[in-house]
Formats: sequence, structure tokens, C-alpha cells
Amino acid sequence: MTAIAEGTVRPVAAEHVSRAAGESRPIRYLVGAVCVAVSTVMLAPIVLGFLASIKPAADARQSPPTYLPHALSLENYFKVFEFQAGLWTYLSNSLLVAALTIVICLALAVPAGYGLARFKIPFKEVWFIILLAPLMIPYQALLTPLYLTFSKAGLANSHLGLAMVHTILQLPFSIYMMRNAFESIPRELEEAAKVDGSSSWQTLRSIFLPLAVPGIVTVGLFAFIASWNEFLSALIFMNKETSFTVPIMLVSVRAGRLGSVDWGALQAGVIIAILPCVLIYLLLQKYYVAGFLNGAVK
Amino acid sequence: MRMPSLWQAALAVAMSAVAVVPGTAFAETLSIWARASSSNAAQHMIDLWNSSHDDKIELTTIPDNQMVTKLATSVQAGDVPDLISFDLIFMPDFMKAGFLTDLTATLSADPNQAKVAKAFRDLATYDGKLYGTGFTPDVSILLYNKGLFKQAGLDPDKPPKTIGELQQYATQIKEKVPGAYGYYFSGSCGGCNIFTQAPMMWGSGATLLPTSGDAPAMEGPGVKEVLTMLKDMWKAGVIPESAEADTGANFQATFETGTIGMQGSGGFAIASLKANHPEIDFGIAPLPGINEGQASSFVGGDVIAIPTGAKHADLATQFIQWQLTDEAQLEGLAKNLILPSRSDLADNKYFQEEPRYITTAQAVGIGQTPYAFHFNDMVNADQSPWLTMIQTAVFDGDVDGAIQAARDAMHAIAAE
Repeated sequence: MTAIAEGTVRPVAAEHVSRAAGESRPIRYLVGAVCVAVSTVMLAPIVLGFLASIKPAADARQSPPTYLPHALSLENYFKVFEFQAGLWTYLSNSLLVAALTIVICLALAVPAGYGLARFKIPFKEVWFIILLAPLMIPYQALLTPLYLTFSKAGLANSHLGLAMVHTILQLPFSIYMMRNAFESIPRELEEAAKVDGSSSWQTLRSIFLPLAVPGIVTVGLFAFIASWNEFLSALIFMNKETSFTVPIMLVSVRAGRLGSVDWGALQAGVIIAILPCVLIYLLLQKYYVAGFLNGAVK
Repeated sequence: MRMPSLWQAALAVAMSAVAVVPGTAFAETLSIWARASSSNAAQHMIDLWNSSHDDKIELTTIPDNQMVTKLATSVQAGDVPDLISFDLIFMPDFMKAGFLTDLTATLSADPNQAKVAKAFRDLATYDGKLYGTGFTPDVSILLYNKGLFKQAGLDPDKPPKTIGELQQYATQIKEKVPGAYGYYFSGSCGGCNIFTQAPMMWGSGATLLPTSGDAPAMEGPGVKEVLTMLKDMWKAGVIPESAEADTGANFQATFETGTIGMQGSGGFAIASLKANHPEIDFGIAPLPGINEGQASSFVGGDVIAIPTGAKHADLATQFIQWQLTDEAQLEGLAKNLILPSRSDLADNKYFQEEPRYITTAQAVGIGQTPYAFHFNDMVNADQSPWLTMIQTAVFDGDVDGAIQAARDAMHAIAAE
């Protein structure tokens, strides 16, 4: 009843709210409470991390820790900025590798997904399973042989080489995503294009790619996040301080003797490292959700 | 009109580059890898070298736990740095695996090598050959809070000389000072405890880690006594409860709260406490044994060595010899309040204002380091026999069962 009463003022909004969060007020409150609780759980680590990062280093190391800073200080951020080769070196390396990973990943996954979704290939499902099979092998087991091979090919200690490794790790998921994205596009569009005389490359470029943008963005986003956060192969494949990526700096910057942790520097590093991920996610989130729904309902 | 000026600028740059080349034509750049926790000390030494040599050295920091993996894969691929600085405890495994270059000829002819702390000379020897030497040492000591000693009615200038006294003092602090604890150790950190509890055992006469499947392990006086002492203190609430779950992350932070009476720690704690917690009045003492005069310590820190296949091995050897000279030891390390690896320089001009450094530096001379293969499996790993023994004995209270289980597990590892 209340909803209807309010509805006289702003009918559309009230109707929308009542549909979105339940019919009656108690349910709405319950849903609201659950949302607040979930958001609190998800946000707490980030907020606490941020609060710890702006404490003076000595305060951040306190045990048991305090929740709120007693004094504000940027010394943890300065430590991260000035650590060894300097933050910009690590950031630019990470961005370069992530960008290369996205490019190579899309260059391979888009045609592969298109082929698997739209062409008649003998034993198609077998090929598909073979392409997905690497997901089942823990990648740590692949690193040493990969490193030895790359080293002989002159690709060790190069950002292109590292981006190739990240692509290898990311490719099965990307192909899977792209196949779903292409399969969710109605066949009628493809047939209409064919009738108008377009070749399969033209169809891909002019019909499929614009429609598959959400899937492409999702694949790119995942490739970015995977590459940005990847630690072990970045450490094994790179041999110079000036070639290292952000995750390696993060592990080194917090290190004290015998495993003791510089919590302030660690949290400052974490906050800096998540910024690009959050930024890109916020910019692309509408595509990202759409990409995941591709092929969900056929 | 813009083009000519651009060309002129380019030409000027090119000419200046040509002008520089003759001076730097023969200068090389060496690469060194150092583990993260000692990279600060290594950087001081490298800066000093770079300021006085044409050939430069470039430091790359490797996260502590990844050094073994990183070096192993690099040696296999033949893509190694010219120098490497790592935890000396891994020396036996690396020498045995053939990862390091034989430096016997150079080092045995160098008069400074004989003055390097014995622990480093022992650990860097395999089959009668020398593969490295001391670089940036550290050593375990007993850290105690003088303020809490005073509040508990103890003499702040008389740290415990035996483990019996240690237990007595710790209990007294817990009883007399509200909110304070007598003792602290990181209960889930194998490395921390081999560093700080093991010297109390071997100082008393124990043999801890076996070198083969039938060599003595966890034998002799000290093992049972130290574990019993820790167990009793834990049971009596003298050790804070947070000790049980500490994986080493709070190894330094807990003492810095000012509520801990005593803790086994390392020389590195002095600089850190002075910088971050000037309000804490702390003392440094050797780690005690069962009887007076059995003090000992664990010599840790980094060795320096040349990996097999290094491109600039000759220059790297020069650096290793240079860093043992008086100049490098004093101006590179002691001046920056880092312990010198040469025992004869423990009492130096830079440590005069801070006698706690001299106590620590002298501990390097009397300390030991266990010579063991598979050290990681025996001690550092999350479920190593060494750590399991401490946890079972102290937190579960089964001292004898814990020692026997550790002995069996260590023998199995040593026999591999």
C-alpha cells in the first residue's frame, strides 16, 4: 500500500523499486540488510588495507593491530614508490606485459572461438576439449620446461616472452568464452550476410565482431587481470630488477628478516596494485556482465 | 626552419655519445641477485663499489622464498647472474648440486678469508673446496626489554645466563607487570626457531640436524631442556597466545609492542628498534645454554658466490675479494650499522657509540650454522620435522614423543 501511495508522486520509480527488492517493506529491509552485510564483508579488506597503508610504518606493524590510524603518514607509499628500481618501472613493465597479453590472447582466441562456433570441423568437440585440457595441468609444472625452451629461443627475460606465457595460461578460458560469445549470435544474421555475398572474414569483421564486443571485452579484462596479478612465471622468466613486474615488487617490498612482514608497505603496495584493475573494471563493467551472459540461455 | 635545429640536436647527441665511448669502452656491468631481506645491506656494499670502480654492479632483488627455485632454473637454462647473495644455510645443497663456481684458488690465497667468521668458512666448504664467503651476516641474540626488567624488580644490566634464569625472569615479569609477557617466539615458523631456540640447544651440547640417515639427530643435552622450558612457560601463560599461530609475520612486530620481556631475535632488530621505537629501552645478550658459559648463537645472513656459467666470473671474483677488505667491511657495512663478516672487525670505530652492536658482532665469531642438506625440508617447510617437534612439545605438551618423531622424520629426509 505504501508503495502505491508513494507511487502517486513518482509512479515509475516506486514500481521499479518494489519489483526489484521485494513486494513488502519487511522483505525490502531484509534484502537491504543482506546487501549491506555482503558489501561490508567484501569491502572490509580493502578499507582496512587502505587504513593500514596510511598509518606510519611503526603503527602498521603493531600487534595486535588497531583499526583506525592514530596518525596519518604517507611513508609506506614513499617506500613503495622508491623501492629498488622505482614504482614506475614495475608499473610500466606490468602494463606492457598485460597489453601484449591482451593483444596476443585476442588475436588467437577470437578466430579460434569463431571457427569452433560457426564452422563444420571434423572432430570439433575433440579439438575443443584438447584446447581446454591445459586448464587441468597446474601451470607451475609447466614453467621449468617452458623457461628452458624460451631461454633457447631468446625469449627469456623479454616482456614479449612473458606475455606469451601469460597468453598460454589464459588461452583455454579465452577460447571457451569466445566460442560462447559467437554461438549466442543468431544464425539468421550470418545467413543474411551470406546471401548478400559476404565472405567469412567479412562476416566476422562486420557482423560478428560488433556483436561479440561484450565477449571480447570480457576476455581482454580477464587477460589483463590474470597477467597483472601473475607472480611465479614473471619471477622465473625475468632476470633483471628493471624487467620485474608489480607482483614481484610487492613480495620483495614487504619482506623483513625470517619472514616478518612490513604490513604498512604491503598494504600500500596492494592499494596501488588494485587501482588499475578497479579502474578498468568500472570502465568496462557493462560489457563484462553482458559477456558472461553470452550463451547462458540458448 | 625547425628541421635543421632538430638535426643539429641529434648530431650533438651523437657526437657526445662518441666522445663518451672511449672512457667506458672496457667497463662492464655485473649483475648480482640478492634475496629481498638482505638486499638493503647488499645495496650499501654495491654503492660503495660503484662509486670507486669503472665496472658497475646492478642489483636484482629476489623474494626470499623463491631464491632456490630461481637459481635452480637459471643454472639449468645457463642464464645466470655474475654474483649471487643468498641465505648461507642453502650453501651445502647448492654446492652439492653443482650450481656454484669453485673459488678455492682465489680465496685460500687471500689473507682476509682466514678472518671471516668460521661459520661462513665451514658452510662454504664442500669436498675440501671453497665455493663462497661471508657477505652480509646476521646473528641471533637474546633481545630483552630493560623497562620491563626494572618494573619486575630485575636488574636490567643482568640478562639471563642460563635457560633456568631465562624461565625464572620471564615468569617474574609475567607475574609482576600487568599486561606484560615474559617471553615470545613465533610458534609456526621453522626458520625463526632454528635461528633463536636451536642455539640454546647446541650451546648446551646437543647435535640437532643429521647429515646422513644414521647420524645423530636431536641428541644430547639441551633438546629436551629447552623444549620443556618453552612448554612450561606456555602452560603458565608467560608466552602470549598469539605465539602459536605466528608464521613469522610478527616475529619483529610483537617485541615492538613493548609488552614482551625477552625474545630470541637477530642483530637486525637493533637498527629497526632504534629507528621505529626509540621509546623501548632494550638490551642485547647472547642466547644462554643449560649452564653458564654455554652461550651460543646461529650465524645467518648471506654468503656471496658465483653461479656456474657466470659471464663475468673474473670480475665477480674481484668483487668478492674486494668486499673482504678492511675498506669494504668498514665503510660498506659497519658504517651503515651492518655487521661485518670478518670477526676481527667486530670492535670497530663505527660501533663504539652503540655497544650493543659489538655484543652482536662478537656473537658472529662464537656462533654456528648447521651444515645440513635438505635444510628446507628438515627445518623451514611448513610441516617440517623441526617445526612439528616444537609445536607438539610446546603446545600439545608431549616433549619426548615430539623429539622421537622428529628424529625419525629427519633420518628419513637425510637418507634421501
